[in-house]
Parts: sequence; C-alpha cells; structure tokens
Amino acid sequence: MSHATTPWGQTAGSAPGGVFVPEPTRPDLTPSRPVYDGTLGELYAIYLRHLVLMIVTLGWSRFWGRTRIRRYVWNHLAILGDRFEYRGRGRELLIGFLFAMVLLAAWAGLMYLAWIYVFHEKPFATFGMFDIFSLSVLLIGFPLAYVGHYAGLRYKLSRTRWRGIRCGMAGSAWRYGVIATFLHFANALTAYLLTPVVSVNLSRPRIANTRLGTLPFAFAGNAGDIYRRYLGYYFLNIVAWIAAAVAVFFTVGGTLESLGVSTDDFLKLFSKPSLRTLLFVVAIAFAAYIVFGLLILPLRCWWQAYLMRYLVTHSRAGNVLFATAISTRQMWGFLVLNYLIVLLTLGIGWPWVMHRTMKLIADQLWVYGAPDGASIAQPPDRGPGYGEGLLDMFDVSGI
Amino acid sequence: MAAASRFYDGITAQVHEVGVRATTGELIIFRPADSGIVARWPIDELVVLGDGNHEAAPPVMRRDGEARLVIEDIELRQRLAALVPELAALDHRPAPLVPRLATLGVTLMALVGLFWLTVDYGTEYAAPWLPYSLQAKLGETVFEELVADKDQCHGAQGLEAINRLANELAQAAGYEHEVTVHIVEGGPVNAFTLPGGILVFYSDLIDQAKDRSQVAGVLAHEIGHVVHHHPIKGIARQYGIDLLMKLVSGGYSDLLNTLSSGGNILLALRNGRAFEREADATGVGMLEKLGLRADGIAGFFEQMMEKEPKDAAAAAGIWSSHPPTQERIDATKRPTTGKPAFSDADWKALRDVCK
Repeated sequence: MSHATTPWGQTAGSAPGGVFVPEPTRPDLTPSRPVYDGTLGELYAIYLRHLVLMIVTLGWSRFWGRTRIRRYVWNHLAILGDRFEYRGRGRELLIGFLFAMVLLAAWAGLMYLAWIYVFHEKPFATFGMFDIFSLSVLLIGFPLAYVGHYAGLRYKLSRTRWRGIRCGMAGSAWRYGVIATFLHFANALTAYLLTPVVSVNLSRPRIANTRLGTLPFAFAGNAGDIYRRYLGYYFLNIVAWIAAAVAVFFTVGGTLESLGVSTDDFLKLFSKPSLRTLLFVVAIAFAAYIVFGLLILPLRCWWQAYLMRYLVTHSRAGNVLFATAISTRQMWGFLVLNYLIVLLTLGIGWPWVMHRTMKLIADQLWVYGAPDGASIAQPPDRGPGYGEGLLDMFDVSGI
Repeated sequence: MAAASRFYDGITAQVHEVGVRATTGELIIFRPADSGIVARWPIDELVVLGDGNHEAAPPVMRRDGEARLVIEDIELRQRLAALVPELAALDHRPAPLVPRLATLGVTLMALVGLFWLTVDYGTEYAAPWLPYSLQAKLGETVFEELVADKDQCHGAQGLEAINRLANELAQAAGYEHEVTVHIVEGGPVNAFTLPGGILVFYSDLIDQAKDRSQVAGVLAHEIGHVVHHHPIKGIARQYGIDLLMKLVSGGYSDLLNTLSSGGNILLALRNGRAFEREADATGVGMLEKLGLRADGIAGFFEQMMEKEPKDAAAAAGIWSSHPPTQERIDATKRPTTGKPAFSDADWKALRDVCK
C-alpha cells in the first residue's frame, strides 16, 4: 500500500532537505509515501451525521462524533501498507470534559470565596466577582491551553495503533505548559524575534517524546539553523505590512473619493444594507484579500513551509527517516485556502479541509526505510484513561 | 493497496502476510508459504473492531487480546462474514452515498430551522416560566457586577417614591413579583432592566429630566421590559442562537465563531428594537391605565432629539439596539393630561436622592 517511487524524480537517497547522504553500508532506506484512501463523500456523510446529532443532543454528542471521524481518517491512512487504527471512545472524551468542568467549577468556587472574604464590599475593590474570575481564568487559561494541547496529543497517540502496536507520548504536559507559556511570553516581549527558538523548542518535546510502542522518535533540530531564514522573513514581513497599509490607504481613499462618497454616505451604506452594500463589502473584501494575499500571506507561507520542511527532516523514528518538500504554494493551500474554505462555507466545508489535509500529508511526507518490527514491542502502559477535557474547554481540540 | 491479509501479533511490530480459513470452531490464520499456523482463534472469541462505515478494513481480534488480523480483500471479508456470524460486521456495506448525503443534508437543514424557531418563538412563551428566584439571583449577580466600582444613591424618600411608582405600574400590568429600582450616581443619561425585576437608573437621567413625567415615562418603559420578561428572553435568544451557530459550524474555527458572534449581535439588536417598541407601548398603556400623565416618554425622546438632532438610532439602522427616536416619539405621543406620577415632595426627594 505504499508508493515506493522516487520522489521529485530524484534517485532514492537524495532526499529533500538533504537529511542523509547515501552510504553503501546504510540499512534499507527505500522511500515510500503514506497512502490515504478516504473519500470526501464518506467523510461528509460521517460529518453531517455528527452535525445532526450535535443539534439533537445540544452538542453532547460531539465526543462520539469526533471519535467516529478519527476512526475514519486514521483507518484510511496507511504507512508501509499498514493502516492506522483509532480505538478511542466517546465516553473517554466525555469523562475528560466533565473532569475539566469539575476543575473549573472548583476554581470558580475558590474565586467566589476569595471575592466574598477578601474583596466584597471593601473600598479598594473597584471590580466585581466576574472580573476576578475572568482575569484568573485568563491567567491560568493560557498555560492550561498548552497543557491541554500536550495531554490531548498524548491521549490521541495512546489510542492510535500501527501494526497492532500502541503509540504513546512520554514527558510531562505541565512541564510543556510552563515552557510554552514562558517561550510565548518571552517571544511577545521581544517583538517575535524568538520565534525560531519557540518553534524548535516546542516541537522537540512533542516529537522526541512520541513513541511507537517501545520505539522513541528523535528530533535533531536547532533554532540556530533556521534563524537566518527567519530574520529574512521577519524584516520582509515588516516591509510588506507597510506596503500593504499604504496600498490599502490609497486604494480605499481613492476609490471613495472617485465615487464621490462622503463619510455620511459611507456610514449610511451599512446602516441600511442593500445590494449596493453587499457589493461594496465584497469589493472591499476582495481588495483586502488581494493586497494581503499578494503581499503578506505568501511570505508567511514561505516561512511556514520552510519551518515544516526543517522540522520533518530533522525527525526520525529509529532508522526510519522522514522528509518533505512541501512548497510555499502547498503551504498556502494548507494555511490560507483551508481557512477560507471553512470560513466561506460557515464550517460545512470542514470535511473538505480535512480531506485536503490528509491528501497533502500522503502526497508530501516521505518515509525512508522501514522500522525493524521485531525490535519494537508493545508498551506496557495504556495511556490516560480519559482525554482532552482541557482541550475541549478551551475550544482548541478540533479533530 | 495489498489484497493479502496482515496479522500483527500484538507483541512486536512485525507484519505477517497470512491466509485465513474458517472452520466450525476456529478461525485459522496461517502462513501461505508453508501453511504454518500463525494463530488459531476460537470463533466465539472473535471481535470485529469498528464497521464498514468508518474503517476501511475493520481489524479482527481475539477478545481481550492485542493481536490484530486485517483483511484487505473485500471478497474474503464477505466470505468470512457469510460463514461466521461473529464476523458479520466485516460485510457491512454502507448505504449508497448520494441518498445518504441527501437525507442527512435535509435532516440537518430541518433541524436548524426547527431549532431557530424554537429559540426565536419558544422563548416568548417559555421565559415567564423560568423560576423567579433564578431570575432574581441572576439579576442580583449582574447588578453587583455592574455597580461594583460605582456609587449608589441612598436617599430613602426618593428611593421609596420611585420604588412605589414602579411597583404600582408593575401591578397595573399584572406583574406578580416585587420590582426594585436602584439609582447609580452619575451618567450616562440612561436606565436599564435586569432579570428578576431589577431596574437601574442613573442619576444624570433624573437630573436632566425636564419634569417628573419624563422620569415616570422612562420608569414605565423599563417596567414594560420587566413585565414582558425582555432581559431573560434576550439572554435566552442570544445564547440559543450562539449555541446553534456553534453546533452547526462544528466550533472548529475561531474566525468562524467571531463571524457567528457578529451575526448573533445583529440578531440581538433586532430583538432589542422589537423589545423597545413593546416596552414603549406597554409603558404608555400602564401610565394611562393608572390615570397618570403619559406624555413623559415622548417628552424624554424629544429632549434627547433637541440635544442631539442627528438621530443616532436612525443613522445606525440595523446596528442600533433601539428604533429610530422619531418613530418612538410618534408612537408614544400623548396629551399632557393626567395626574402627576410623583407628588411635589416625592419629586423633590427623588431629585435629591444622591445628596
């Protein structure tokens, strides 16, 4: 079930990204690609059923719906001819969610007590109970979202099997949460000049702690390797924003002026929406799309494609190497077009995005070599008993 | 996609290309090359993981085991399913896709419509049935939150006067619960209603009112919101539509949620304008029913128009939470006849409520 053709017309061994140099003594490094044989129609059928049940159950069926979609996607993806298997259960996600709700309720109770005994009717308290609660959730929510992200990944991997062997994830989600919070905070303080450090140091625990049975993955990336490219992107991005702002200013201002539209007329357009308003909004949206689409987003996709290539080519699982030659254009399709599809279809296009993403993975991920199956054993632990409560709470779980 | 069956022993990640044969009591998994037995699984312990709707090739396992048998060959799956009832799930063929998608699509649209109607019209009838204690608790909590950093006015006679009139008006409209009016010092020139019959007036409104009938008019308007349960209806509709948007969009996109929220705000504003019209009409009706001067609402709006000739509500159109002011003046215009809503002493006390 694998594509064992040579990628990009290169001979086997000359991998994109230059990860390895072929040596006669090396083990088998035959390239192959994953195969995704899911169909858009079937994925839609599962998704629409999920939406129908979501409305009937007021959203409580989402845990089971999510599980069904994962089962479909996982089992239609195969590497080296072996399909993935997803064995998570909806009730595990429900328990995770309820557990997170209990934690939040306990936190709310704690904040309520703090309000009653410390702040209530005190002259210095120029804020309400909701303010305290909102602020505290904001403070703990940021790191907790990262903790939830890592724990969610651990849950998903623990319910994933390949060749009958459970995957897993080592490491502490809390440690990851602390590191991620610190790095993002530091990055914001330094005007995002630390982005390569953040990207590499947050990818490392996620990749290096991933396990297929007893086989750990490894990551050999270093932020220093990608700094030059990032600085190029960073300053080009600033120039592009300035150019985009100037272009928008003159385009919008010039258009309004040439149409003889006063500010009052302009406001009236929106207060009494008509076909003219709709056309106006579409024209503005199109202009903005062109300006930002031509200047800003390609730059971002250029950087993201580079980062993706770097992260993939610096990861391995035992003697199995990975590579990708994902291009700026493909990254555009992944980041921008997928986003627009979800947005313009009001979410109904989501299965299409999922399908496109799986096809992209199958198309662009190259696997070199095959693992020594005999040396990979079933792990003794079964992973967490429930999952993704925090992810669900912070609405970042998706599929 | 290889047609052969694959066996994973569940101990290591080795792959065994195997053949499969079913006997009366066992499923025999063997190596095709030398017919060597790889595994013998009792029929009554066989389990199919998943189904043909979700899994491309549902794995077969022995109950409580880790080993897996994956049969890629559809014909072999069908033969085994026909022979072994425990493996019937292997022959699960999904219904034709197009009719399935059409049925699901139509069902989804019907449910969205039904949900929308339930939220939009159902709240009209359901809101009064929400336990009053719950409404009052909600109102009190929001009130505490809103006035946490503001000073309230405590003039006893003024508060008593406005609360007395508020409750008379509410009773005239058949409202069974007590209404409480709070006065917050300062501006803006505004008043609003919270669930549980809680009214909040800003003292600037009382200070800048030309006469007592204007304050009584605004009070009657707010009582109109109370007796129609507008705060609870507004919350229920907003929450209901928000939930619907989230359910239908799958909640997978932040930007989509933002757009949904934008649409939801427009709906809330549309509801707001309908509520304002209803409260205006009810307020005037209550004042007339008690034989009080009912020109205060229109008078108050006229004063607002004098201060700000440009009708902000009319200019804002669909973005306004209130109907155009001129429209409200026309709808609430009444003669200057009727008893004064406050006695001279009460009116003076109300004007001095924050002193």
